[in-house]
Amino acid sequence: MLVPKKNYMFEMIKTELTDAIGDDYVTTRDSDKFGHSIDYYWIPEMWHDRGKETPKPDFVVHPGSAEDVSKILKIANQYKIPVVTWGGGSGSQGGALPVYGGIVLDTKRMNKVLKIDRESLTVTAETGIIARHLEWAVNKAGFSTMHLPASIACATIGGFLAHRGTGVLSTKWGKIEDMVMSLEVVTPTGEIINTLPIPRHASGPDLTMMFLGSEGTLGVITKVTLKIHPQPEARKFRAYLFDDFHTAMSAGADLMRSRLQPCAIRLYDETETLTHVKRVFGMDIGKGAYIVFGFDGKEEIVDLQMKYAREIMEKKYKGRDLGSKGGDLWWENKYKFFYPGYMFRLPQAFGTLDTVADFAHIESVYWAMKKVVNENFPQARFIGHFSHWYEWGCMLYARFIFEGKDVPADPEEAAALYNRVWDLAIRAAIANGGVINEHHGVGLKLGRYMKDLYKNSFPILEGLKKTLDPNNIMNPGKLGFKGV
Amino acid sequence: MNIDKFTDTIKACRFCFMCRHLSGVGNVTFRECDTPRVRAAMIDGITRNPSEISNADFIRTVYSSDLSAACRFHCVNHFDENGLNLAARRDIVEAGLVPGDVSKLAARLKERAQAPKISGGKEEVLYLVDFLDDEVPSEAEAFHKIMKKAKAKFRVAEGCLAAKALRILGFDSEAKPAFEAFAHAVKASGAKLLVASDPAVYDALKNDFPDLGVKLSAKVAHSSEFISSLKLKYAKKAGKVYYLESDFLKNYNDSYKYPKVLLKQIGAECVPFGTNSEESYTCGEGAVVLNELRPKIVEDMAKYVEARADNPETDKIVVASPYTRARLSQNTKLKVSTLVELAASCL
Repeated sequence: MLVPKKNYMFEMIKTELTDAIGDDYVTTRDSDKFGHSIDYYWIPEMWHDRGKETPKPDFVVHPGSAEDVSKILKIANQYKIPVVTWGGGSGSQGGALPVYGGIVLDTKRMNKVLKIDRESLTVTAETGIIARHLEWAVNKAGFSTMHLPASIACATIGGFLAHRGTGVLSTKWGKIEDMVMSLEVVTPTGEIINTLPIPRHASGPDLTMMFLGSEGTLGVITKVTLKIHPQPEARKFRAYLFDDFHTAMSAGADLMRSRLQPCAIRLYDETETLTHVKRVFGMDIGKGAYIVFGFDGKEEIVDLQMKYAREIMEKKYKGRDLGSKGGDLWWENKYKFFYPGYMFRLPQAFGTLDTVADFAHIESVYWAMKKVVNENFPQARFIGHFSHWYEWGCMLYARFIFEGKDVPADPEEAAALYNRVWDLAIRAAIANGGVINEHHGVGLKLGRYMKDLYKNSFPILEGLKKTLDPNNIMNPGKLGFKGV
Repeated sequence: MNIDKFTDTIKACRFCFMCRHLSGVGNVTFRECDTPRVRAAMIDGITRNPSEISNADFIRTVYSSDLSAACRFHCVNHFDENGLNLAARRDIVEAGLVPGDVSKLAARLKERAQAPKISGGKEEVLYLVDFLDDEVPSEAEAFHKIMKKAKAKFRVAEGCLAAKALRILGFDSEAKPAFEAFAHAVKASGAKLLVASDPAVYDALKNDFPDLGVKLSAKVAHSSEFISSLKLKYAKKAGKVYYLESDFLKNYNDSYKYPKVLLKQIGAECVPFGTNSEESYTCGEGAVVLNELRPKIVEDMAKYVEARADNPETDKIVVASPYTRARLSQNTKLKVSTLVELAASCL
């Protein structure tokens, strides 16, 4: 049952919510509802741009504690009202959009840093804190979370947990799921639970991992303990230009196979090297594939690792050395692309087709995605870079871009075109050994591919959802789960 | 509409999240609508459907901005959501949609802005004692003490801040004649230098006057610039202080350097406040009268600042703005002085 807006039940429910968490923290103002109707997903942006009404919540609530969240979820269960958890609202997959109305549970009031443990090197914080604010607080104590994604200024730490985010230093320091010690979660029925206090054990299945990436469908993560690290003595970068993307990929993969520990590697395909590297980093390096990597830690060790990495790049793969300046410019400008003036914007249609695969498959995934986009949408550009590297493979951050003139004016037609790109490209990724996403999550955008990806194991996820959330109130219609 | 002059800003900011961590009001209300992104998207909707400007919730949101311009300062291309918000306020005024609380405040300000006052005499320096509601009389006393020590003569003047506040609220047509009257009075007085303690007044003289085509016959300096130019010898060192930047001096006037010059002269050892140098800790200085329109938000902003102090009850906090000084003193346990007060205490 959705909220019956036109009768007094609406006011009754509002009164219950207000009674539970306070008058100041429940709102039905138009400006608040509007603010939660558009996230960073292209479809609602386009919908708004075309003057169409975007789906809005009935209530926006700002709980201040796990207890408040519990009360809200119990009320929502009572009336079977959808609840969508909203952190920074900066997700690109539509995961936090209130597509069925109901309650938007904005977590940002739960923003305290609770403890910095200098002995175990952990920080415990409420999950509504903006990641930048958490990082600043940890920096002041002399540490870093090492979680430094481009969305650090806008996303909450809970948002990263909910969709398994990744920062620019992930190659050494890991994805968010590698950084988590434990979680406090409010389950869909309102119980406040804690996962085990440490992440490595032989004490049964891992509940922490079950909630990570659940995108608000299995509960609300209200508290987290994360690992922190001393600020490194040195962090140094170097860049190379290779004749072609294949050679650069081979060099990058060899660097990972060497078991040196780069904190970051980023490889741009020939198209993105030509455009992005010059425009955003200010380097005019000519044609080829640009790769940048870095090391951090004790300076002596950094220098030694850099020496061996340079040998791989120069002796084995004959890369053109762009020097430390070529690498530093990348680091200094790593977020610049996401600012207006550099970032794509409407009326362009654009999306990030990010995926991840092992080294045996990643190039096939790249070529397959590029092929389907180029062949089916010749008016679109396809560019890509590889930005998060593992011992076994790496992440492809591919993008498609349609210029405004090539995007239908009719919003339904524009959405259909947009969805068609995803259909073809994501299925090409899956067919070639990739998965549907690496760090942006699934949300509304990619939910329809979950069954393709998980095949006969998807019912296990559905079973989990049904058990934890019997009334299907938590973010219905997302992550491939059923809607209202 | 005035907002139509900001099309590029609207298009840049309406879906951009990159400065949301610096939303002074958003960081205490936790409301999405109190961020540059949503305000720009709301105004974007108004450009397509002008009737939406009459939405009371939207109007309330527009008048809740702290106008710190931290977002503009932070943005790599300096898109001006601040200016967009001010344009929306002008449109609200021109459409006759001013809400009651703003209307009442504006009426008070109009009365105050009507007649600039300049004390008699022939001194070339005019010190602008423009403090709304006389919240920080000690600021003027401190300035007087410094002038006495320097054996410098000055006169006092008043009449800019109320007009600046009117402009901030969107009442340009009332602000401009008030600025003109002030400029005329300054010219008639023969003064050569205007010294403003309040950064809002400094900004009015530096930016609003030329923006509205009002010419000033005198030079303009913030009190920190003027006092540091006196090259006084101070008997005591200020010691360890936390200096909180002013919105107007930092974000509106290209990191105006003189507060730090003066702090150096008085032997201040500046310690970084809080966790970063990007957030505004002014409690809404940029909105000039936010404390009157949104007292609860301003109280929460003050407590947000207090929560970031290393030792809230003992730290020596210094601000450029008498407005910020008053808000922090009223709402927190912080020990706050203005630059002028601190300098006077070191004599």
